[in-house]
Amino acid sequence: MKIIKREDFKAFVNALIKDSGLDVEGVKAKGEKFAFGPLESADDLRLDYDVTLLPPKKYFLPQYEQLLKFDLSHPFSVDRPEYPRRKVVIGVHPYDIAAIRQMDSYFLDTDISANYLRRRKNTLIIGCDVMKVQEKAFFGSMGTGVMHSGYDLYLTDLGDRVAMEIGTEAGSDLLRYAKNIREASPVEVQKVKAMREAMAQKASRGLIVKPTGWHDLLEKNYESEVWKKQSDKCLGCGTCTLVCPTCFCYDIQDDLNLDLKTGERLRTWDGCLLRKFTEIGSGEVFRDDILDRYRHRFHRKGRYLPDRLGFVACVGCGRCASQCVPDIADPVNLINMLFEASPHLVQDSLSDPHTVRTDLQVIQTGDDAKMLHMPQAATIKRVEKLSAKETMFEITLDSGKTLGHTPGQFVEVSIMGMGEAPISVSSAPNGKSFEIVVRKVGDVTSKIHTMKAGDKVGIRGPFGRGFNVEGLKGRNILFIGGGIGIIPMRSFINYVLDHRKEYGEVTILYGCKEPCEMLFSKEVASWSKRDDIQHKRTVDKCPDGECWDGDLGVITTLIPKVKFDPKTTVAVVVGPPIMYKFVNRELLKLGVPEENIVVSLERRMKCGVGKCGHCQINGVYVCKEGPVFNYRDLKNLPEAFK
Amino acid sequence: MKPKVAIFDFASCEGCELQIVNLEEAIIDVAKLVDIVEFREAMKESSDDYDIAIVEGSIARPIDEERLKKIRAKAKILIALGACAHLGGVQRLGNRFSPDENKKEVYHMARPEDISDGNPYFKEPRHRALDEVVKVDYTIPGCPINRVEFAKVLVALLTGKKPPIPDYPVCVECKKKENTCLYTVGGVCMGPVARGGCDAICPTYGGECEACRGYVSHPHEKAQMDVLAKYGLTAEEIMNRKTMFTSRYTEKKGGE
Repeated sequence: MKIIKREDFKAFVNALIKDSGLDVEGVKAKGEKFAFGPLESADDLRLDYDVTLLPPKKYFLPQYEQLLKFDLSHPFSVDRPEYPRRKVVIGVHPYDIAAIRQMDSYFLDTDISANYLRRRKNTLIIGCDVMKVQEKAFFGSMGTGVMHSGYDLYLTDLGDRVAMEIGTEAGSDLLRYAKNIREASPVEVQKVKAMREAMAQKASRGLIVKPTGWHDLLEKNYESEVWKKQSDKCLGCGTCTLVCPTCFCYDIQDDLNLDLKTGERLRTWDGCLLRKFTEIGSGEVFRDDILDRYRHRFHRKGRYLPDRLGFVACVGCGRCASQCVPDIADPVNLINMLFEASPHLVQDSLSDPHTVRTDLQVIQTGDDAKMLHMPQAATIKRVEKLSAKETMFEITLDSGKTLGHTPGQFVEVSIMGMGEAPISVSSAPNGKSFEIVVRKVGDVTSKIHTMKAGDKVGIRGPFGRGFNVEGLKGRNILFIGGGIGIIPMRSFINYVLDHRKEYGEVTILYGCKEPCEMLFSKEVASWSKRDDIQHKRTVDKCPDGECWDGDLGVITTLIPKVKFDPKTTVAVVVGPPIMYKFVNRELLKLGVPEENIVVSLERRMKCGVGKCGHCQINGVYVCKEGPVFNYRDLKNLPEAFK
Repeated sequence: MKPKVAIFDFASCEGCELQIVNLEEAIIDVAKLVDIVEFREAMKESSDDYDIAIVEGSIARPIDEERLKKIRAKAKILIALGACAHLGGVQRLGNRFSPDENKKEVYHMARPEDISDGNPYFKEPRHRALDEVVKVDYTIPGCPINRVEFAKVLVALLTGKKPPIPDYPVCVECKKKENTCLYTVGGVCMGPVARGGCDAICPTYGGECEACRGYVSHPHEKAQMDVLAKYGLTAEEIMNRKTMFTSRYTEKKGGE
């Protein structure tokens, strides 16, 4: 530990500010509150602050961040954002350091975000001890009051002197801007240690269940009345998520300039408390009820992220608690209420291996960091209108490579200036090109409907987990497709038909509302002619004047009309949400084992790489673990078939 | 061919049109995208031939209704500009009283025969939003409008994109700007139910949000009213906040 006199410390900060190659940010007063902002003088730095309005996450995941630039006057021109400038952030409290380490683990774990990594690597963190505890803070209860790493330098304000601990070589290197540094005496070291521990003690607020027990408590109280009681007061304003240092969800928007040529794709903070968070192109909102959104936030922090990354995603800063107007966001209150509302639970019985991890290492990454949101150029080769709303596009990647997808996977289709949409690949993996079928519902899908052969689109992916085409070889397969569910399913059907001998008995059932909605009509007709598969098709109704050669009635009515052995057949079911309810019930009744029912689900897959948070079904990321799921794995997820 | 745009106004302060003028150098870019054929506040020409009609103001009298219907019949696209066109404006508060009461209060110096229903300019004024009279294709909310948003809507229309009017509360942009929440410093605010897109300009400068952009599509109104009560507002004060710009919603429920 080093010691520097206050005036020398000020000179040190001013020397940093003077360096034109550095952006120096620090805690400053903002009205009656505090905020991190650009420092113009060491006099503005307030190391005596309690908490900042926003956490320093804004330096690593800015409120608005350019993901790419584009220029529509060229066939397909996308450019990386500019490299972030080198920054020093002064005055980061230990709980916020803990949050940054959690953020590292989130963005630098798998699918490393190059945007995040660039900012993280170019930002030095100067931590500081908490001198004044904000009323709602509870970092003492969360074990984040004392950090032993995660900073480059660490300060403790001793009045006339400032104690400095060196965390990294880069931090040590910063000291060349400082003068008159000496080693701390053992008394000073002791004093700092005592102050620190006393402060952590002070920031404990009677949290009944320790963070190690949150997972259990939340899991056992998913249906608790507390959720309704609290969420009835919720404004749905999103504040709790926006001010949280461990909320990372984001939205992506395109912004086209007035020249109608140039523009940028932006990433901006989003929050799961906002109603639009789970809305998909067709207008369906998967967490429409505020109760579901309110509950999701706590479960993501106490259960879903712990399951995924091994830590409770709350560091006890108290920002949500102090900024929630109806005062329902406070984790201490919520956890205590849940515990008190479930008298059958014994405090000590609540345990699990998760804790608030503060020892996460910054993952050292080099070239494996990717511009996760950078699409590759692709060309539309062929356009075929399939119905009033659906059109098929055959696409090749300009790189000459094949897409390399598994049937059931999806791609993010990009139209610069419009945005991106997740679209399932509907062709089997054969040949250089792939096919997607697009239903006209939103901006991107409407725009692509105006495109023709030769036009350029951007493609990211393939993403997600597709059908287990290899594992199902030799098995009997019953395909049940409803409406546009046939689109992703077709990639698997065609794969099976291409490798017919490698599979057992194959049955295809396909249903639509009306004959005019039937897709791939030529292929469907060819299924009837094959003697190595069973096929039946149906429509709910056939309006006068339309021709129809199949059955009449909902899709479930086809099931008893075909022969299959429920014990040995794998059912692949893809369709609208309502269809799953009835078809799955029917299949289970017939004795098809749960693990033999395979479904594909639709959610708002915005990023495709498990970061933006929109597609979550409880703790499951549809874009990573889905869209193809085994029914057995989903039935315990209350949000799956809601 | 560039689409022809005409800009009209009804009962309003014309401040939203002024925001278009205030685009300053960007208005040159706008003029490259569209032909402005009528814009009373900024030019003397007028025209009956237009594709897009941008209309500011609330519709009060039968003569206004008639004029708006004519505009609607000529325009392929009709855009409501600002809070008056979107919600009926502050002047809608007058709907709480009878036309006669209003006239007595405002024009008490006038001769009764001049302000009677016989004068079409004074006939039965009841303020309504445009979409209560004709079909409105798009709305640019706000009092005044956010001119950056105006430009974005124009870009969206010209490129076939849904105009990017947010459907989240003002709190979202307010938090991103790292403002101090007024509730935490003894104030009150309609931000939690009010539609964002204004970049939280009022709270940013210490003013409370009065929901000039209307409510989000699914406002948690009851929670909001509970909060106002919790923060010490009387029923009348709550009502005032609720009706400043948004009496339209209350009127619909037959509350007034």
